[in-house]
Parts: sequence; C-alpha cells; structure tokens
Amino acid sequence: MQNETTKIALLVAVSTLVFLLMPVFLILYIRSYNRHKKNHFLEKQNMQQRFDSEILQTRIEVQDQTMQSIATELHDNVGQLLSLTTLTLNSVNLNDAEKAKRKIENSLSLVNKSIKELRELAKLLHGEQLVENGIGHAIDQEINWLGKAGTYELKTNNLLTDSQLVSPDKDLIILRLLQEIINNVIKHAQATYIQIDSYLEDGALHLKVTENGIGFNPDEINAKKAGMGLNSIYKRIEMINGKLALNSAPGKGTSIAIEIPYP
Amino acid sequence: MRYVSPIVIAEITCLITAILLVWKDRNVFWKVITCYIAIALGTELYAIYLASKHIHNLWLFNIFLIFESSTILYGLYCCLKQYTTPKPIFLIGSGVVYLTYFIFLFTHPFTDPNTLTISVMSVFFTLYCLYYYYLLLKDENFINIKTHPEFWWVTGVLFYYFGSTMSNIFDGLFSVKIIGVATLRYCIYVLLNLILYSLWVYSFICRMKQRKLHS
Repeated sequence: MQNETTKIALLVAVSTLVFLLMPVFLILYIRSYNRHKKNHFLEKQNMQQRFDSEILQTRIEVQDQTMQSIATELHDNVGQLLSLTTLTLNSVNLNDAEKAKRKIENSLSLVNKSIKELRELAKLLHGEQLVENGIGHAIDQEINWLGKAGTYELKTNNLLTDSQLVSPDKDLIILRLLQEIINNVIKHAQATYIQIDSYLEDGALHLKVTENGIGFNPDEINAKKAGMGLNSIYKRIEMINGKLALNSAPGKGTSIAIEIPYP
Repeated sequence: MRYVSPIVIAEITCLITAILLVWKDRNVFWKVITCYIAIALGTELYAIYLASKHIHNLWLFNIFLIFESSTILYGLYCCLKQYTTPKPIFLIGSGVVYLTYFIFLFTHPFTDPNTLTISVMSVFFTLYCLYYYYLLLKDENFINIKTHPEFWWVTGVLFYYFGSTMSNIFDGLFSVKIIGVATLRYCIYVLLNLILYSLWVYSFICRMKQRKLHS
C-alpha cells in the first residue's frame, strides 16, 4: 500500500513538473511569435512611411509640372497675346478712325483670348482638386493640355470620366504616371501621333499610351531599370501593386500599358 | 512563528506590492485583485490559527473558494474583453463552476474539501487562459509582452491552475512526506503559490510602469 502511495506521489510530482513546463514552452512560443509580429508590424509601418513619402513626392512633382505648364503657357501664349495687343494698340492712329476702330476691335479680341487662356490656367492651378473630382477628369485635363500645343495628332478614349470610383492616393500617382509618360514622349520619342486609352475592367484601371515615335530597345532599359524617367514609373507602379507592359522597338514607336488594381 | 509559512510570506509580499503599486489605479480590475489577495491572506492566517487550535479548517477554504472563483473569473473576463465579447463563454463557465460548487455542497458535508469544484474551475481557467493567448497572437496590433501587465497576470493564473491539475485529481491518494513534516502536496502548493504571486507582483510592476508612461 505504501509502495502504491509512493508511486502515485512520484507520478503526481513528475506530472506537475511537466504541467509547469508546458506553460513555460507556451510563453517561449508566444515570445518568439510576438517577435515576428513585431518585425512584421515595423516593416508594415516602414512601408506605410515609404508610401506616404512617395505620395508627398508625387504631389510635389504634380505641382512642379503644373507650374512648368503655367510658366510655358504664360510665356508662349498669354505673353505673346498681350505683346501683340500692346503692339496693336501702340500703332493706333486716332486720326484714321476706321483703321483705329479695326485695330481696337482686334486688340479687344486678343485681350478676350488672353482672358480665356488665363481661365484655362486657373483651372490648371487647381490640379489637385481636379484629381479629387476623379482620375477621369484629371486625365481629360492632361490630354486637353497636350492637344492645345497642336504638335501631335491625338486619339483619345477616356472611359473613366463616368466612373464613380475614387482612390485619392492612387489617382494622384496615376496622374503623375501619365504626366511622366507624356513628358517622355515629348522629350525623346519624336512622335507625331499619340493614342491614349483609359478604362476600368475587372477591378483594375487600364491606361495605355501608344505613339509612333523613334522607339527604343526595351531590354536595355529594363535591364538598367533606369533612364527616361522609367525608373520612377516602375517604382510607383510596384508601390500600388500595378503592372506595366512596355512594347517598343527602334523605329517602330512605343506602347506602354499600365494595369492597376482599382479602387 | 507558526503563522510564518512560505505561502503567507508570498501573499504578504504580493499584497504590499499591490497596495503600493496598483491600489490607486483607475482600473477597477487592480483594486479587485488587491482585495482578493487581502482575503486570501486573511483566510490563510485564520486557517493556520484554526489548525493551531486543532479545529477543522476546510470549511473556511470552501467559503474562500467562492471568492477565488469569482475573482479569477472576473479577472480573466476583463483580460479577454480587450479582444472579444467573452460574455457567453463566461456565463457558461461560471454557471458550471457554481453549479458544481452547490451540488457538492448539498451532497457532501461542508467540512469535506470541495476538490470537484476546484478541478472543474481549474479546467475552465486553463481554457480561458489559453483562449487569451490565442486572441493575443491573433490580434493585429503588436504588444510588448515583456511589459504587458495583463499578460503576466494571466500567465500566473495559468501556471497555478494548470500546474495544480494533477494534485487536484489525486488529492487524498498520496500523503508522502518529503521535507520533514511537509507533504508532497503541500510542497507543490507552496511552489505554485510562489510562482503565482511572483508573476502577479511582476504584473503589478508592469502596470505601475505603464500608468507612469501614460500619465
């Protein structure tokens, strides 16, 4: 009987030890899991910070682009119109009433044109509000601006203007992507024809820009992931989980298709 | 000297720490725990006094059981409340524990140790502690467990009730003396109490630091 009691006592002692060790291992596991969770949390926080800083950078670039457009417009368009108005008004001979009347009418027409141009500029100044109205409107504004130059034959198919979906951060990045692509075309492509398509399909926003410029070898560019502003385009698309398809060949123009999960 | 036992020393230390560090806490939870430790200490001292007079003292522990189960249930409820709505599972748990207690009370003399309720209670407390850990791991927000008071409070509860499972099951079947007159059962309970109160003292320190940080 005494032997039985000792056996039970031994069993209880050993099992209690095991039962006490189990929470110890549990705590060690929780500690290790928690450490992983902490790293994941910090990484997420870091990514969010990077995203925020990229958004800020994009906002600054969009503003810069707007300022450049305004400066160019003021210099090349409104400035010229007002200079012409001054010249016309200076040449008015009040003794020749008929001619003077015609010149004043011309000046008036030039001033009205300048006012119209300034109104257009005012719209540009509200570029950020334009994005708030939806990416469709922002793309429209960008295309109108490109069309005003009259340098390119433009074909556009923007189906995003009717869309009710919005995603403020992504909209800003998409607008900047379009601006960068257009800048590249203007600076390097020597194109005469540009086609811009934008639409929503299967929960993704598609933006395609095709031109008939001099083209380039995409393998070289992809290998370097640099040059012609492509680096920042790739980086931003990656940031919003998008995809980019680049088709180009020397002498055969370039086509850039972007697909971004939306909204 | 009769009143000085390791359990009493652990309880006094824990009570003093609780009064100094968490009694002024705005959270009712810490006040309830402090009161519970005071009741546990009172019970322990009175039980020693009764034993010294050769009077049966198990009825005292049976009364204390009500305070013990209610306080730990309340404490675990507060901890789990931060992550989920634990009302349904606690209604079931407390229902089963109190039902077992009263069934045992009506079917056994009041001087019998209520081991059945202690065993049932231990199972529920262990399950709640494990559920707390599960929710803690599942939660998206990261917490620093090293300094998280509730975590260490729950850990103390888990050690005590999970560790005492075997002693509860085999209660009365073994009475081997290992150190002088101390039985193995007593030694196990001393060890469990030391672990419980040490972890609770640590949780009070964490809470005090947390409060200072937030003020």
